[in-house]
Amino acid sequence: MNGMLRVAAATLLLHITPVVVLIKRPAAVQALLPGANAYFQRDLHLSDRDAHRLHEVVDWSPENDVLTFYLGRTGTTDVGSLEFVRVDTPHGPIEVAVGFTTAGAIRDVLVTKATVEMKPWIQEAVGAGLLRSYAGLQASQAPAGAAAVTGKTGALATYVAAEVDKGVQRALTAYSLFYRSGATRS
Amino acid sequence: MLYDLRRAIPQVKWLITCLLATFGLAYLFGSLMVALYAGFTPARVAATYAGPAMTMPMPPETTVTVERPMQMEEFAQPEVHAVDTDLLVQDTHVHVPMYGLLAAALSLIVLGLPLSRGAGMGLVTLLFSAPWLDFAGMWLTKFASPHFAIVTLAGGYAMGIAYLVVSVLAVHRMWFSRSGGTP
Repeated sequence: MNGMLRVAAATLLLHITPVVVLIKRPAAVQALLPGANAYFQRDLHLSDRDAHRLHEVVDWSPENDVLTFYLGRTGTTDVGSLEFVRVDTPHGPIEVAVGFTTAGAIRDVLVTKATVEMKPWIQEAVGAGLLRSYAGLQASQAPAGAAAVTGKTGALATYVAAEVDKGVQRALTAYSLFYRSGATRS
Repeated sequence: MLYDLRRAIPQVKWLITCLLATFGLAYLFGSLMVALYAGFTPARVAATYAGPAMTMPMPPETTVTVERPMQMEEFAQPEVHAVDTDLLVQDTHVHVPMYGLLAAALSLIVLGLPLSRGAGMGLVTLLFSAPWLDFAGMWLTKFASPHFAIVTLAGGYAMGIAYLVVSVLAVHRMWFSRSGGTP
């Protein structure tokens, strides 16, 4: 009986709450591609070799092995690009939007979706400066959002910051391996 | 009969009534959540679990880039809530034990109803088969054919119907059955 109660309690604790939109996509696009007046969707259908390479580096495979970037232009001038990346956590998914400058550095990061449960943790981490820690990050650098908010927030906000780090790392790696450098030829 | 709800003491009857009401509230909001995230038609369920139609049926030999212009309005279009394999693994892991506990609790109530052996077995089977159908449908939709979305819908409706049948029979037996007094 005691075991059954523990299973029931664990099940209740692990129940995933619904996903809520924190920032709508048009608002995220305008924030991460400032001034753009023309938009393009670039889908990179990864070969098996490239998909494997990405998985080896960041332990992640995009859905259907397709990476999608959104590009912004003002006239003929590139503004930059952005990618939406989902991170699955034991508390449900979060979505991170990562914007890049034309030089390949991170312009800004936004958390666009989270579960009801994680929303306050995200807000606490963002309030402690989580997103500011990513600005200017290059492909050779590792995101350190969790380290940036440690000591300024509770344990759950620090935990979720580490999950945002994962999303930023995935976007950064995908960008540097395939968007910027060009895909490998097999 | 192992026990009879009609002869249960009022505290037990009240406990079961409160449990059924609580489950009912949970099922009501569960169905609202399904309406928000997956929908009640085979097409919407298939879109949720099977994902968008693949533009390339096989992985290309080299990575292929496809670019198209788009309008800002396209970013505002409602997104299809897609459940990929990782999320489905997670959903199955956390939902199936909970559904099992719900089915077990409702089955215990069924044991206190004056049903024939066949009807009792059938109702218990329905209670437990509903989550099996629900999740089997999701996995089959993802990996076999989008047509299996109907199995998930059948599971969802079976869950609701089984709950309603148990609730109606139990409430009738406890509160409205003749000679339904306390022992």
